[in-house]
Amino acid sequence: MGSTTADATLIKCVVWDIDNTLLDGVYLESGEQPPPANSVLLGVMTELAGRGILQAVASKNPPAAAGYVEQLAGLDLAAAECGWDAKPDALGRIAVGLGLVDAEMAFVDDDMLERAEVASALPGVLVLTPEDAAEAASWPQFSPPVVTAEARRRGRMYAERSRRQAAASQFSGSRAEFLRYVGTQVIIAPAVDADLPRLRELSVRTHQLNSAGQPVTEAELGRLLSSSGHEVTTVRLADDFGDDGLVGAAVLVRTADDQVLVPLVMMSCRALGRGALDALLAWLCRSAAVAGATRLQVPCRVTDRNVPFRLALAAAGFRAEPGPPAPDGRALFSRPLAGDLPAIPDYVSAPGQP
Amino acid sequence: MTASADQVAAELRVLLAEVTGRDELRGIPAATPLFGGGVGLDSLAGTLLLRQVERRYGVDVAADDLNLDSLETLGTLAAFIAGRITDPPGPR
Repeated sequence: MGSTTADATLIKCVVWDIDNTLLDGVYLESGEQPPPANSVLLGVMTELAGRGILQAVASKNPPAAAGYVEQLAGLDLAAAECGWDAKPDALGRIAVGLGLVDAEMAFVDDDMLERAEVASALPGVLVLTPEDAAEAASWPQFSPPVVTAEARRRGRMYAERSRRQAAASQFSGSRAEFLRYVGTQVIIAPAVDADLPRLRELSVRTHQLNSAGQPVTEAELGRLLSSSGHEVTTVRLADDFGDDGLVGAAVLVRTADDQVLVPLVMMSCRALGRGALDALLAWLCRSAAVAGATRLQVPCRVTDRNVPFRLALAAAGFRAEPGPPAPDGRALFSRPLAGDLPAIPDYVSAPGQP
Repeated sequence: MTASADQVAAELRVLLAEVTGRDELRGIPAATPLFGGGVGLDSLAGTLLLRQVERRYGVDVAADDLNLDSLETLGTLAAFIAGRITDPPGPR
């Protein structure tokens, strides 16, 4: 069985070397005036950024070199590792910071030894020469099926995220106090047709905060949206640092015995640590209780990547049915809708909330 | 090497303070709930904590505890980890 185009893992982030790769020369050896851009590679970089693929640099240079690249390219880098560490360490920090696995990253460097070092330490990373990278825009790994407004803004959002993280590290109160301090707004609202491309994209791209563990087609999402038996709910997120747009969604079904089942919850990892998933789970519990249900059920395909989703379920009081999950990882989490339900913070606006 | 739950709890307080950036967590009692009003662990801080636990003790809490009940309090998590560290290695 050969791999088909559809199987190629989509690259979510390209990590570029700077000297003799993005630049035609060496940043520190060019006197007053830094070297000019390699126009072919800079063109590839801006094209890929326009498709929502994150752009980052890993370079043995002072941090000003990354600022110079941003200025030349006219875009925000999602991450910049400038220093004298080994490249695999730099890529490792970028992966953790952006919530990516190795197979979602590509690395471009003119230096054969640096490429060999990354290929050996991080075999999942797609390692490219500048010549390879010049053609990469036509490869399936760099061609996401849908590109939404959220995707095109992605690089800027990660830059906002670094500023938010810097503010959080200065802040001494609890996480909830920080979320209020930075003007967090979570807006929960019914989905409309115009949301479909973004919902499709979330179903493909989210892993850490995804209950289904598999993509849903746009046609299927459209069917759910128009079905009277289903409700599709969206979550938007913003704060003083920026507007992340539509970051998550849930699908609700009312079962024959008047209970509420949530077959799909998905949320961008940008929302991690920002209260949006906790708010969504709290709202699902409360609105199901108001509608008369006594139990809320969330089937979840347990994977090694959606531990953050299980943490949110546990924090909201959900428990799995006794026994190990099915061989494919499926487990049914649920919680009673009596007694203390999770609170909806005051920065959330949602249907039925004052 | 074996470790007592108390030793693990002492180290977990330091890890919790690091992943949340809140120094006051260095002094919490073992009975403090990790979710909700106690530590207020969210999915981001929880994930960072479990990663550090796996790196330090070789215990994959998420793989061994579907419901993450071990995260009820600081003390229950410490006991869960201490119990796994002293397990003799062998086939499962």
